[in-house]
Order: sequence, then structure tokens, then C-alpha cells
Amino acid sequence: MLSNYSQPLEFTKLLGWLDTTLKANMPEVWANLIEFVIVAVAFLTAYAVIALILIYAERKITAFFQARFGPNRVGKYGIFQSVADMIKILLKEIIHINNVDKFLFYAAPFFMIVASMLTFGAIPFGKMLHAVDFNIGVLYVTAVSSLGIIGVLLAGWSSNNKYSMIGAMRSGAQFVSYELSAGFALMTIVVLTGTMSFSEMIAKQEFCWNIFNGHISSIVAFVIYLISGHAETNRGPFDLPEAESELTAGYHTEYSGLQFGFFYLAEYLNMFIIASIATTVFLGGWMPIQIHGLDIFNQFMWYIPSYVWFFGKTAVLIFLSLWVRWSFPRLRIDQLLNLEWKYLLPINLVNILVMVILVLSGLTLTDLFPSLF
Amino acid sequence: MESILKYFKGLFTGIKSLLFGMSVTWKELWTKKVTQQYPENRDTLVISDRFRCELTMPHDDNNEHACTACGICQMNCPNGTISVLSKMIETEDGKKKKILDTYTWDLGMCTFCNLCVITCPSDAIKFNNQFENAVFTRSKLVQTLNHEGSKLRDKKKDVKPAETNA
Amino acid sequence: MAQQIIFFILAAMIAVFSVLAVTSKRIIRSATYLLFVLLGTAGLYLLLGYHYLFAVQIAVYAGGVMVLFIFAILLTNRPGENVKTERKDRRIAAGITSLAGLAFCGHIIYWNVNKMYTLVVPAEQKIQDIGLTLMGTDKYQYLLPFEFISVLLLACIVGAIMIARKR
Repeated sequence: MLSNYSQPLEFTKLLGWLDTTLKANMPEVWANLIEFVIVAVAFLTAYAVIALILIYAERKITAFFQARFGPNRVGKYGIFQSVADMIKILLKEIIHINNVDKFLFYAAPFFMIVASMLTFGAIPFGKMLHAVDFNIGVLYVTAVSSLGIIGVLLAGWSSNNKYSMIGAMRSGAQFVSYELSAGFALMTIVVLTGTMSFSEMIAKQEFCWNIFNGHISSIVAFVIYLISGHAETNRGPFDLPEAESELTAGYHTEYSGLQFGFFYLAEYLNMFIIASIATTVFLGGWMPIQIHGLDIFNQFMWYIPSYVWFFGKTAVLIFLSLWVRWSFPRLRIDQLLNLEWKYLLPINLVNILVMVILVLSGLTLTDLFPSLF
Repeated sequence: MESILKYFKGLFTGIKSLLFGMSVTWKELWTKKVTQQYPENRDTLVISDRFRCELTMPHDDNNEHACTACGICQMNCPNGTISVLSKMIETEDGKKKKILDTYTWDLGMCTFCNLCVITCPSDAIKFNNQFENAVFTRSKLVQTLNHEGSKLRDKKKDVKPAETNA
Repeated sequence: MAQQIIFFILAAMIAVFSVLAVTSKRIIRSATYLLFVLLGTAGLYLLLGYHYLFAVQIAVYAGGVMVLFIFAILLTNRPGENVKTERKDRRIAAGITSLAGLAFCGHIIYWNVNKMYTLVVPAEQKIQDIGLTLMGTDKYQYLLPFEFISVLLLACIVGAIMIARKR
């Protein structure tokens, strides 16, 4: 079905050509090794570049929400502001703190960054732009992203500072509880699609995104996933682990230079990862908008390459997260836990049940209108 | 039963109020930006009249000022910012008279409390709107306010412009 | 070949960190070393192609149990301050016991698991199969144990609430 339309801007041909030429010219082990290295370098670069773009976009949009201009001095419209910031943070001294647990103190930022890198690797960025396609993609993503919290807890503990410690404890409590409802929201969609692999999920959303397919239940799951994903990344109204007025900067108070940069980078990338998982699971991933039967329209949609669709949808969700961040006041810790345990989790459990009923009794849109979707 | 109703009511009113909040910020996103981009907008920059920047002693076209060197401003200054140096001269009719020699004011020590201007009996000094006070050395902050060769304005002359102003 | 190298790296990592986890005097470091052991085990599952087991190992042990461990350590007052090395005779007794355990387990592993490797082909298990096996009531299906475990967990939760309430 997919290959019926011409897709001039996709990377599929380029990647296929690279693979065949490498395999034709050298033994397979070396070809594989070179491909691994290329993929790894591409991922690391993408990781840094996306973080830089996100930091710039966040500062700019934040400024617009507050009727300001935002960064506008470094380059036209300040587009090199985050590059300048990166150079600054790379040049900064890493301050060595007395009486910290050295090993844990220096290891903690790596936990954060490794956890978000592992999650980043499993995201489908476009057609054929999918590094690891696990059979259990959704489960893998939820499992691996939970490693980050260990970094936060260890950072808070090893800093030998009571503010860091309290920040880490709050962050831990927040993450552990919101991870639960994020997982449940994803499981709702797993019930709907009957698969956990990202590629199969995207293939099933060709004509009808999951958010429409399961109507009521899907939309509730989507909103819950966005809320809990937002809370997991310690941002927006849920940033009380880093509430400056009470805890200086929370768990990364004692970090400086590149180590702080790691926490910063991981935070922004987690925002991107949450948005891209929501895109993939609820909004059809890299699949263009298509309508059954309208071949000309579908062809035009396919002229726009899949990675543009993916990043576009993700950007919309990131904008939504920024919008929320600058609309609502910060929650207190008890309000935060109330929201999770008294509202999101019960609603989520009922929602899964509703979804099971919808799927079993054939009330999803694809079942109701098979000719349309 | 009532508690269940309360739960759902709270949930929906909460969602409604959150959406309302988001609509407010959405409108705010498209409002005109209020940032003043300072070095570029020097020409159009509006500084409030009441803003106190630099102490000045207004001189008229004849290079005359109104300071009688009474020293009240110096006494009233809480920080010792002002120092009025006077000298005695002999007028044409042989009377001895105290006139102003140098009037120094140290911007670096001034708190801009305006006490000197309020207490001046002859309205000889006032604060202006020249807010760009940054200099490279502290010594440049010490300014002499009376101009070279200036002298005290005659009282009779002084009345007329005051009336015209009124 | 590559698989062998990765296996030996993982095995060395598991062995070294499990020894460190026991010998370290700082309890939070012990917990971190234990985390590395669990991650290494997850790596072994990944090497075998058991993706589901890999993800569950990380989600449950590394992401769940270890976070709870660290939380508990963070909440205790001055953890590990009064740790002393044991008396010599006790250490010798403990060493002999652990050697005996090693011999016992090693014997079983050597004679049984070795045979099993010829039967079990390392291949990706379909998650649908795992789900059906876990929820089925036929032979070699595990609904009953599954429910027993959930009852056990429920009892644990009730017990925890009873302890925490302290009436």
C-alpha cells in the first residue's frame, strides 16, 4: 500500500544504496561495524542538535508568552544563542566539591543521559529511519526511561546537601508515581492496536490515527499521557523539585559546567522523547495524513517526506507542553500526588476497561466505518 | 453519593478553569511585545519626568545661575554628596558678599533622595533625565555643576521669567 | 564471535559488581553496584534475544526495586555508620557456606542447564504468546500462580498499610 505512492524525498533509497555498496566492497563484519558507527554518530549529533533547537525554541516561545522578544542578539533573531550557550557550558570549570561521594557524584549525570539516549534510540523518526525496532517497543521505552530517576536520586544523595536531597526525593516520588499513569495510558493504546512494536503501530494508523480510532478512550489516554509525561520530565507546573525559591535548584544544585549540562540536555531531550512517543503512539508517527480513496490527495501528502511529518507533529506537542508550562502555577507536593493518585490513576484504570469493551464490542472507528478508515 | 458528585464536579470545574487559563495565555501569545530594545530606541525612549538621573544647576543664556552658595543642600545631604565651596568678594558698592566658587556633586555616593532640590531656597538645582551615567572610572562621577565663569543671577531679573512661566 | 566477547564482558561485569556490592561498606554504593549487576543480567537476556524479559528486568528491577531500595536508604538516618567487619571465625564459616552453595548450584547448572541449551533455541518470544501463556488455564499455562502472586502482593500492601497507620 505504502509503496504505491512516489516518495521522492525519503531516505530509503540512499540508505539502501549505502548498505549495498558497503556490503559489496568489504566483508560483512566490517560493513556492519561501519554502519553501527554511522548510526551512533548520527544519533549523537541528532541528540545534541535537537537539544540546541529545543532550548532556542523554548526560550523564544516562552518570551512570546510573556510579551517579550526572547534572545535576539546572537545572529539574526538570536538563532545562535543556544550555540553560544553550549560553547560557554563546555568551557566552564567543573567545580570539585569537598565531602561528596566522588564515584556516585560523577556517575549520576551519566545515568540521566544514558537513560534518555537509550529511549531516544528506539524512536521511529521516519520511514526506514528507525534504529531499533523491538517487538516490545512501548514496553522497552517505558522500562529504559525509568533508569533516569536513579541518576536523580544518586545526584541528590551524593551532593551532600540537604536541598539537593529534598529535591531528589520529591523528584523521585513524582517520577515513580507519574510513570505509572504514563505506562497505563500507553497500555490503553496497546489494547487498541494489539501490538507493542512501534512500526506495526504506525502501519495500523495509516488512515485513522489511534487518537481518533478509539475516540473517547483514546482522547482520555492521550491527555493523561501528556500530563504524566509532562510531570515525568519535571517541567512546567510540575517543576517543584527544582523550585528555585525553596530548593535553590533541586537535585543538580551542586553540579556545574558540563555535568550540569548533562542534566540540562537530558531534561530537554526527555521533553522531546515524551512528545515523540505521544506522536508515534497517538498521532500516527511519521505517517502522512491520508484519506481512503482520495489517491491524488494522498500522493500530495506523500511528497512531504515522513521525517517532516514526524518532526512537525512532535513540534506541535512540544508547543502544547510549553503552552501548559506558561499557563499554570506550580503545584504543591501534596496537590501533585493527589492529582496522580486520586485522579489520573483511577481514571486511567477505568479508561483501560472502557477501551477493552470498545475493542471487544467492535466500537472503534475502523470497525464501525471500514470503508472510511 | 455526595462525595462522588463532589469528586466529579471538582474534576470538571478544574478542567474548565485550566482551559480558561490556557485561552488567556493563548491571547497573550499574540499581544504586541512590550520589550524596549534600549540602544536602538534611544530616539523614541521615554523617561518619566520624575525620574532622577543627574543633579544639574540650570544656567541661562548669560551664563548665570541662581545658587547663592547658602550651603543648605550640603547640610541636608544624608551622604555628604554635595560640597559647596564659596568665596568672599567685594561688590562695586563696597559690600562684602559670599558667592559660589565650585559646586561639586558625587554621583557615586548620591542616593537620589531629592532632599537637596526640595530644600534649596532659590531653586538653583534640579534633577534631569540624562540616565546614561556609566563611566570607566569613579573619579569621573564627581562633577562640578556650576559652569566656568558663571555668576549669580540678579534677583530682579529672576522674577520676570518666573512670572512668564506662571 | 562478537556474541562471545559481549557475553564475557557482561559476565565479568556481573561478577565484579556482585562482589563489590557485598564488600562495599557504604550502603548506597552497594545499591548502585547491585543495580549494575541487574543491568548486566538484563544485557544477558538481550543477548539471548529475550526482549520481553530484558524490558521487564529493567522495568521491574532497575526501575522499580532499585528505586525503592535507594529511596529507603535515603530515608534512613545515617545509613551504614556502624558497619563493622565480622569476627574471623564467622567469616570463615560464611566463606565455607557460600563455597558449598556455589558447588551445589554449579553442579546443577553444569549438568542441567548445559543440556537445556541444546533444547532451547535463543529466539525472540512473541509477546502475544507470553501473554496467552500467562493468562491461560491449560497445561503449562500460568493463570493460577499469577493470581496467587497478586494475592500475595495484595497481602503485602494491606500489611504495609497496617504498619504505617500505627493506631
